[in-house]
Amino acid sequence: MGAYRKQIQIVGDVLYAAEELTIDHNEASITNLIQKANISHSRISKILTNLVSQGLLEQVDSKIACKYRISMSGKDFLREYRKFSEFTDNFGLTI
Amino acid sequence: MEFLLENILNLIGFIVGIIIGIFAYIGFRNTGSPVLFRLTIAFLAIGIGFGIIWGGYVIDDVFLQEGKINRGLQALGLGTQTIGYFFIAFSHTIKSFFPKSRYLRSVGIIPLFLLSTMSIEHIIRSFSFILLVYGAIETFVSFLEGKQKGTLAVGIGLGMLAFGEFIAWYSLVFPETILYSISILLKISGLISLFLPISKLPLRKMKIDEFVEDEDEKFGV
Repeated sequence: MGAYRKQIQIVGDVLYAAEELTIDHNEASITNLIQKANISHSRISKILTNLVSQGLLEQVDSKIACKYRISMSGKDFLREYRKFSEFTDNFGLTI
Repeated sequence: MEFLLENILNLIGFIVGIIIGIFAYIGFRNTGSPVLFRLTIAFLAIGIGFGIIWGGYVIDDVFLQEGKINRGLQALGLGTQTIGYFFIAFSHTIKSFFPKSRYLRSVGIIPLFLLSTMSIEHIIRSFSFILLVYGAIETFVSFLEGKQKGTLAVGIGLGMLAFGEFIAWYSLVFPETILYSISILLKISGLISLFLPISKLPLRKMKIDEFVEDEDEKFGV
């Protein structure tokens, strides 16, 4: 059974998945994000809407389906998230 | 010699506590993590506690020149540090008041009975010791799970602070021995070990607060 993830960890995982997929394919589909971040469709829709409205993800125009790309501020956020995640890890705690 | 070592210990404790506390606070502001909030309180309290005692030594050195710190200031500083150690232990969620190890229970509790009636300072030190041992054990358990070097360094740091506190009790039973100097050196080493993994992280601030605040609001965190 997987460990319970806090909201901040889920956001971190979604952004990490988006970053990886942006590097590999220049954009990320919802299906890819669901698989990579291990999250349900109903939940990711809400998170993606928020991340786009905050400018951490960019919505890419596509005729087939919604695609996303991590923005510069998204990369900055992810870097900070990793840094403080490592900080709490050093104390044997999770962020 | 002991006066100088005490000054060095408390100055290092003050600097290390405040730096880690500020770093944790930046993390809390940027991510909204309650764990980082508890670490902020913990390390600011530890830093301020060491700072109060250091201030007491400086006041004595510059103005009073009695060769000893005011006992009230000492108790206040130790009490503030204990609050910090409590929040570290609290972050691990305290499951039991005493350490899990049967050996540590049997050995660690002896000075508590020997000295706890002597003064409030010793009672505070007893609490600090118990909380530090708990924090160290939990951190070592996390190290065994994750095998991260940083976690090991923090575990060793907390362990050395606890051991330093333990030796300090016995220096009260056996005064005029080298035990007190050893305890101070152990605590200095503990603080350095605690700071090592943090020093490797880039200590700069980045503004991402707006996202977190809105995010919390929308997710109802």
